[in-house]
Amino acid sequence: MKTLMCIAVLLPILSGALIPLLKFKKRIYREIYVETAVLLTSAMVLTLLLNRPDGSVRLFRLTGDLGITFRMDGLAGVFSGLVAFLWPLSSLYAFEYIKHEGGDDRFFTFYTMTYGVTLGIAQSANLITLYLFYELLTLVTLPLVMHSGDKRSIRAGMKYLGYSIGGAACAFLGIMVLYAYGDNSLAFTYGGFVSPDTPRHTLVLAAYLLTFFGFGVKAAVFPFHSWLPSAGVAPTPVTALLHAVAVVKAGAFAVMRVTFYCFGTALLYGTWAQYAAMAFAAFTIVFGSAMALREQHLKRRLAYSTVSNLSYILFGVTLMTPAGLTGALSHMLFHGVMKITLFFCAGAIMYKTHREFVPELTGLGRYMPMTFTAFTAASAALVGVPPLPGFLSKWNLATAALAEGGLIPILGVAALLISAILTAAYLFTPVINAFFPPACQGEHGLEQACDPNWYMKLPLIVLLAAMLLFGIGSKGLLELLARISAGAL
Amino acid sequence: MNDYILLVPVLLPILFAFPVYLVGRRSKKERDSFAGVVGISEFAVCVFLLMMVLSGMELELAVPGIIARGIYLKLDGFRAIYALIAALMWMSTTIFSREYLAHYRNRNRYYFFTLLTCGATVGVLLSNDFFTTFIFFEIMSFTSYVMVVQDEKPGAMKAGETYIAVAVIGGMVMLMGLFLLENRLGTLNFDELHTAVETLSDPSALYLPGALILFGFGAKAGMYPLHIWLPKAHPVAPAPASALLSGILTKAGIFGILVLSARVFLHDSIWGGVILTLGVITMVFGAVLAVFSIDLKRTLACSSMSQIGFILVGVGMQGLLGQHNALAVWGTALHMVNHSAIKLVLFMCAGVVYMNLHKLDLNSVRGWGRNKPVLNFCFLMGVLGIIGMPLWNGYVSKTLLHESIVEYIELAAQTGASTGIYHAVEWFFLISGGLTAAYMTKIYVAVFVEKPVKPFEEHGKRYMNWQSTLSITLPALALPIMGMLPTPIMGGMAQLMRGFMNGGSPEAAIAWFSLTNLKGAAISLTIGAAVYLLIIRTVLMRKDESGTKVYVNLWPSRLDLETLLYRPIVEKLLPFLGALICRVLDNLTDWFVAVLDHTLLHRKPIPPRNDDDYAPGEYTPHVRRSYTLQRISGSVSFSLLLFGLGFCAAMGYLIVILLTK
Repeated sequence: MKTLMCIAVLLPILSGALIPLLKFKKRIYREIYVETAVLLTSAMVLTLLLNRPDGSVRLFRLTGDLGITFRMDGLAGVFSGLVAFLWPLSSLYAFEYIKHEGGDDRFFTFYTMTYGVTLGIAQSANLITLYLFYELLTLVTLPLVMHSGDKRSIRAGMKYLGYSIGGAACAFLGIMVLYAYGDNSLAFTYGGFVSPDTPRHTLVLAAYLLTFFGFGVKAAVFPFHSWLPSAGVAPTPVTALLHAVAVVKAGAFAVMRVTFYCFGTALLYGTWAQYAAMAFAAFTIVFGSAMALREQHLKRRLAYSTVSNLSYILFGVTLMTPAGLTGALSHMLFHGVMKITLFFCAGAIMYKTHREFVPELTGLGRYMPMTFTAFTAASAALVGVPPLPGFLSKWNLATAALAEGGLIPILGVAALLISAILTAAYLFTPVINAFFPPACQGEHGLEQACDPNWYMKLPLIVLLAAMLLFGIGSKGLLELLARISAGAL
Repeated sequence: MNDYILLVPVLLPILFAFPVYLVGRRSKKERDSFAGVVGISEFAVCVFLLMMVLSGMELELAVPGIIARGIYLKLDGFRAIYALIAALMWMSTTIFSREYLAHYRNRNRYYFFTLLTCGATVGVLLSNDFFTTFIFFEIMSFTSYVMVVQDEKPGAMKAGETYIAVAVIGGMVMLMGLFLLENRLGTLNFDELHTAVETLSDPSALYLPGALILFGFGAKAGMYPLHIWLPKAHPVAPAPASALLSGILTKAGIFGILVLSARVFLHDSIWGGVILTLGVITMVFGAVLAVFSIDLKRTLACSSMSQIGFILVGVGMQGLLGQHNALAVWGTALHMVNHSAIKLVLFMCAGVVYMNLHKLDLNSVRGWGRNKPVLNFCFLMGVLGIIGMPLWNGYVSKTLLHESIVEYIELAAQTGASTGIYHAVEWFFLISGGLTAAYMTKIYVAVFVEKPVKPFEEHGKRYMNWQSTLSITLPALALPIMGMLPTPIMGGMAQLMRGFMNGGSPEAAIAWFSLTNLKGAAISLTIGAAVYLLIIRTVLMRKDESGTKVYVNLWPSRLDLETLLYRPIVEKLLPFLGALICRVLDNLTDWFVAVLDHTLLHRKPIPPRNDDDYAPGEYTPHVRRSYTLQRISGSVSFSLLLFGLGFCAAMGYLIVILLTK
């Protein structure tokens, strides 16, 4: 069972790397190949989740106690479960979408490889493994960001590269401090491996902040957020899966690992480093939403919305209580499902009508009913309309913050709600315009617009069903997350 | 196990909304009948629930497994009656919609969302936990948006915009209040709230959450200063939807305020005073707006606002009167019931007018109601009910509310407190009653008494079919019956409902038609007659070119809280500030990198960006530097300067370190 972890990481990487060599004659062969590889991996992850192996497995040793090691604990389970659920769906979606972008071989090579790398991040058992896959993730996804090859996407790619590598460098400095103060294997242990008796030296706290912002770059925390909207030039399946789920959540996931499993909350709780991190997260929540409201390009608007929502997760993490982590984990799952739906809809609109800006969506609701129903439902979920899932995670985050008391947590709750109002403003405007167009406008040029085919529709339907399920029947799931946050799993 | 029956009235409309929609795609006629059947069965279920309550049962249902925290419903007298009223309203309006909406587009959508709203509203009214209330309340807010904008005309869209903005903001503010309330009390369950409050050492900490929750519920109820959506949204919705919005959705807001008042702030005089103040303003302001209005449905909508004010006055008096609040509790409960029933009748009558003429302006519909005895009768019943004419139902509840104010004045006089302000409240109450009489007379006279300016075209067919007639006449008949048998019907209802508000029974049997009580009604009606004759007939009507007197709208359109205050803040000020800050901050890192680039690394200036670059804040913003600046930054001395600065900083740091050691 333990070796299965290694296979799950390596299979997509290898099968992805093989794609250019196989030279598929027909589109459908490649589609079958990719989908099989992805489904197989997801099945392996599912098996792992159901019979979770204890202990870790080492792929190889680096030096001393350091090694590339995998382990499937509760936190790893949540993240790998999320990507394993979404990857087959978005591959299916990508088969159709990529038809109008071209460069299929290259695209699917890296798209499939990213799956393995993301699983590597999820299942890493120590900080150095996490760091390795974190850097790999940047490199593997870079060609996806630059996919179209025009000036804008290359510039966005360079920006992405600069931010990510810079962030990782900061994180690396933090890792060095951890190596000095903590144990030499850097293995994740709930509660941290830096002894809480360590004097709260400014250096340790500064190192935490460095790591927080370093990994926070991928989670787009202010002021390191601006690569994310720029990276929206990538094909929609990439923006949907990577820039709403895999890559950005990898950043948030790394912050969770560092906070709860390396430094340990006992050390950090109540220090200035905690408040600084929390203040930045709380600010980003409002800032991201405000920027989203200003933005007229649909995908960039969604990207800014992701900026805001990722900070919900970071805010939960920086509360440094199990309840906060529960809120963060639930938002990680729910936001993944909601945002990917929104991006899929945006992609379907671009694919069918070549419209990218919000005002251009006027009146489309009638012609693409299925797409816009999904868009509406996901918007309502993201705003936090009960009983859809966004409401639950917000409720969890807010109660966790209020249980803390104190000024910044309460301001954070206010930030959550202000952001919810802004979210309603920036997502309901396109919805309302699409379904209730102002008279004699938007009626021309829409006749050809229609819902996309089943490649795109099926993922939307599955995601909608998942959203409803998460919203209504997630009590068990939330209890599981609470156990994970308490370190019981 | 049979407690699960409580889920039926909530889920029945929600689940049947989908088949109704699907049937509607095949056949419109079948859909209409199907929706009607759903409405009737909902009503039957609610009747059955009321029977259960009457037989002394009290049902409670907890479904802990769903939506994370579970759903808690409870059935007591108040909820049973209100669920029944909700079901009655949905049944009547659904049946009426069949004819009213016959020429509308997107009827499928209307039925679908109406049914969803129905389930959610019943869910709010049955809820026994603020979490459950909030869930259904939000669903109700969003699904009812579609009812408001059903027309898709610019006016409707604008009103819908206001409606949804108020709903979203109200919902979120309320949520904040709920978070704080739960944080302080540890529970949101209605039955546990009061015990939790009593064990609290510092109850004044509850005022902030209370105010935030009041904001949310008050926004839905149409309380001043959050009423802005109400006079806009109610008139533009189709008449059946207006009846629902006015009659029952506002009551969902009142429901929440009642829970707060009776469970969290029970007998709290400060809370009572705040609600009373807001109630008086809403009551007077709504009535004044209604007097000025010359649109049939807008008058009714403003009237709704005013009547909500009456109800809030009752809620406020409950808090002020403390232990002696029986009269206020009875009055509040009965005025809620009365207002729902009356507005159902009045809005559907207005709907009949609109259905035939497609106009609502008083000058255009003038005299259309002559020679239509059935419609005339129904409308008259509503008018007499709402103005508080003795023997009609409105009289009963208004008298009780009035009595509660008088009672408080007497109590205050006994303890020697000053009563001046409450005398003023009493007079405001009577004057608002008078204004009610005035504006209702205005629209009644305009539609049913005055002669038309030019004769109306006759379509040949009857102005309403038998289903519509039935759905209007039956509720209309109930109004005088309720008013003429106050003790068995109204008293019985109040007895059932008072438990919800923790109210007692009046010490003595109420003499409904005693001289003092009739005096209050007489004063109101006299004021009404005076206002109608002296102001409406003279100031608010002008002679036009042809010499006929027409109604004019003298209310300055600019005098509107929304256009004066809210819209400038939300649409101009906040976006300006937000955009300014965001713009600066968004590029912060990029600019920082760019500055470092150009100073430390001597990069060549980056060529100007492409025109196709729409994005603000791309990587390395273009810094246009002058030739001199380039020369300077490229020079050796500049590098030396920077080096020197860095060196100085490092040395300074070392000195500081050494000195502090």
